[in-house]
Amino acid sequence: MTAPVEAGAKGVGASLPRKEDDRLMRGRGEYVANRRVVGLQEVAFVRSPMAHARVLAVRKPEGAEQQVFVLADLDGVKPIRAVCGLPGFRVSELQVLAGDIVRYVGEPIAMCVAATRAEAEDLAELVEVDLEPLPVVADMLAALTPDSPKVHAHWDRNAFLESMVDDDLSTVKRDAAIVVRRTVRTARQCMAPIEGRAVVAEYDRRLDQLVVHSATQMPHINRTGIAECLGIDQASVRVVAPDVGGGFGYKGILLAEEICLGWYARRTGRPVRWLEDRYEHLSGNANCREHHYDITGYADASGRLLGIDCEAVVDAGAYSLYPFSACLESAQVSSILPGPYVMDRYRCHTYAAATNKPPILPYRGVARTGVCFAMELVLDAIAREAGREPWEVRMANVVPSDAMPYTNITNKYFDSGDYPECLRRTVAALDVPAWRARQTRGEPDGRRVGIGLAIFCEQAAHGTSVYHGWGIPMVPGHEQCFARLSPDGALELRIGTHSHGQGMETTLAQVANEVLGIDPARVRLIHGDTALTPYSTGTWGSRSMVMSGGAVAAACTVIAERVKAIAAHLLEAAPADLELADGDVRVTGTDHSMTLQEVAHAWYRQPQRMPPDIDPAGLETTAGYKAVRDTGTFSYACHACAVAVDTELGTVEILDYVIVEDGGTLVNPMIVDGQVYGGLAQGIGSALFEEMPFNADAQPLASTLADYMLPGATEMPTVRMEHMTIPSPITRFGQKGIGEGGAVAPPAAIANAVNDALHDLGVEITECPITPRRLLAALAEAKAGR
Amino acid sequence: MTRIALKVNGQAVDRDVAPRRNLVDFLRDELNLTGTNVGCEHGVCGACTLEIDGAPARSCIAFAVACDGASVRTIEGFDDDPVMIELRAAFNREHALQCGYCTPGMLVTARDIVTRLPDADEARIREELSGNLCRCTGYVGIVRAIVSVMAARKSSSGGR
Ligand code: FES
Ligand code: FES
Repeated sequence: MTAPVEAGAKGVGASLPRKEDDRLMRGRGEYVANRRVVGLQEVAFVRSPMAHARVLAVRKPEGAEQQVFVLADLDGVKPIRAVCGLPGFRVSELQVLAGDIVRYVGEPIAMCVAATRAEAEDLAELVEVDLEPLPVVADMLAALTPDSPKVHAHWDRNAFLESMVDDDLSTVKRDAAIVVRRTVRTARQCMAPIEGRAVVAEYDRRLDQLVVHSATQMPHINRTGIAECLGIDQASVRVVAPDVGGGFGYKGILLAEEICLGWYARRTGRPVRWLEDRYEHLSGNANCREHHYDITGYADASGRLLGIDCEAVVDAGAYSLYPFSACLESAQVSSILPGPYVMDRYRCHTYAAATNKPPILPYRGVARTGVCFAMELVLDAIAREAGREPWEVRMANVVPSDAMPYTNITNKYFDSGDYPECLRRTVAALDVPAWRARQTRGEPDGRRVGIGLAIFCEQAAHGTSVYHGWGIPMVPGHEQCFARLSPDGALELRIGTHSHGQGMETTLAQVANEVLGIDPARVRLIHGDTALTPYSTGTWGSRSMVMSGGAVAAACTVIAERVKAIAAHLLEAAPADLELADGDVRVTGTDHSMTLQEVAHAWYRQPQRMPPDIDPAGLETTAGYKAVRDTGTFSYACHACAVAVDTELGTVEILDYVIVEDGGTLVNPMIVDGQVYGGLAQGIGSALFEEMPFNADAQPLASTLADYMLPGATEMPTVRMEHMTIPSPITRFGQKGIGEGGAVAPPAAIANAVNDALHDLGVEITECPITPRRLLAALAEAKAGR
Repeated sequence: MTRIALKVNGQAVDRDVAPRRNLVDFLRDELNLTGTNVGCEHGVCGACTLEIDGAPARSCIAFAVACDGASVRTIEGFDDDPVMIELRAAFNREHALQCGYCTPGMLVTARDIVTRLPDADEARIREELSGNLCRCTGYVGIVRAIVSVMAARKSSSGGR
């Protein structure tokens, strides 16, 4: 579909260095906290110290009535509701400041405003809050038992939603020579972008408009949500997301804090800001990844999968938040658990459990990381039973190459790919026989070596039918781009998605180059401002390169036609004989040409030169895009690694790590690599380090980055990566969403390697992160049991 | 309030500061030098790394009053620094930044590694970077960039 990239090429397929780097490297990034506003005040929130309590009283410090605000002050403000459209959903309401009940540690109770954050915190300390403790629901499994106390008193069960993909398993139960049943668990995590959340709210008197600068991935969604909660017209709200210091899902949310600050700025006319600190982030926003699986795999004697039966619980926390709701994660679990495999029967019962913990948000990979972990552990267990290499068992079970495109057992449409080839290349790159030989020799230092792999496929850029099917309150539709060739021949692009590390200022300029032949240096991307850009659900779900890339191409195609129409007249040629390249419009096969700048100059400044029938819409347009199908692209990857396990210390060292990935046509391979490496680091965090423990009172136990371990440079192995570039048949250039995949497979691949190293000791890890404490406990347990 | 006199990016600064004011807030909010970012405010992430008297320091756990008489250099003060120019080119070439939030602190640390430990190998570089967290890049491009600047400096200095 795409020609090989020529040297010096700047279009789709070029590893163009990023346009955005220079300002960021000189300290000229404009993050929300950098915004300077005269008279800016700062906010500190009083937050709940208890996970579940009745709020008896909140007393403001004397004389501070105009600086401290509670729910009763916020007249006209509505709670945040995110109602899933699936039947049986139990509705929660999050008051933006606590009402009668607080339901997790960190829930905002009062807003304190002062000249500086330090003074606002001083004030917060003086606010007296009387809480009457209520029974706490700290664990998702206990939450679902009939006698559990309730997170929401009027609910009959602590579950936002229960759902079922049902199937008759009697034949597979009868026929299976191998049955493996495992209990699998993943820990609660913090997404931990290095920049926390940040909000500056101002009131523009001239426009009667609330202007909110927010570190968000989805400014238009925040605008809609803020307007609805404040009960005002959307025209009265503008949201700006300037440079944002990493998202990963953490900033894909309508915040209670945004609404509080917005209310204050409108009420008083005074600007105000809140910058989330790390303590607030860690103690109140560990909000992702916590899954539990009771999963059984049925296979024949050779390890061919016959069926999967699973009961999965997702700890969705205390409230359903906008826009993804408490159900996205559990809905994903049941629909994607089968992964890249073919099977005859599949049954999955999922629960989005409610607990007194922070409300869940979709973290990079969303449910895929947990699902891949559960499924791939089961595949390895089956391989052990069958006495075969894990990769061989996978080879026997993945969708065969010639079956693509393939509709799987949950009706997912795999648009393209070659899973067996991906496996083959990964196994070759890791050199399995060499590791097996090394295992036999043993390590001189007494550590145990193991190898493991994991393969997954990843639905990305999924659209209307998928989100509607999951009942999510936000359903993406078409994506738009506004494009304008300006009088000097430069191109302005405006998009509604947001770039917060993905490098879209560069990649979308490459798309424009591909279509218009314009130098990417002459393309300026405007994004992150609801006043300047088309409406969009924003950046999430690895959708931007597919959706905004498609929209930019569509808009540039329109501009190209209009440029040709003008140039045809000026060059006295037929539009069909013109081509666009290197910033010129050329009569094909001749040296008769004019520059884009000359065309633009003529259109804007010499309209007398235009023919009478020229399209009056000129050199600007808004064009929309939707992929050929809205079922999403299916990128996929196989991760394989070798580890050395120290059974004395319980530590795991990654000795080698290989990734073979298919992201379809790579718009900018350097940036794709960067996305995968970054995801991998987060996945290694999930596998080995990152965990927010809660005690029985649902108190978070890690409140600094010294307790919550993020991977550093020394924890990252050297990675080898190969790309397969099978184009997606459903997207503009064949590109597939790849922003999340790196974070999906590491826990599975690493756990499988650890289990490979330890299985003759009778150890099988089924929980992550695989911390020394967990590993040593498993070793001790195995020893005691033998 | 306490009166302090210090140098910031070569300029003399004379101000009253509250004793509890940390250096990074002082620089950002009072001197409008917003290039230094704040990630944790407890000395772990390294986003706020800058130079105090020529050595890398965490400005979130340094009090402004403690910098009386010191010479402070923030990312803005490295615009024309020859080593930083090389590092910026390498960071760009090797895709060593995504969101850019850790980058100013990362560059200050990188410059320190390059100048202080010209012979460091990759393992040592990683160790030296362990006080700077990046959530976006997986450190791959960062390490490559530093390695490449060191190699280039060695070959241009005649491979000492
Ligand atoms: S902000 Fe200073 S070390 Fe994190
Ligand atoms: S580039 Fe985002 S934290 Fe390093």
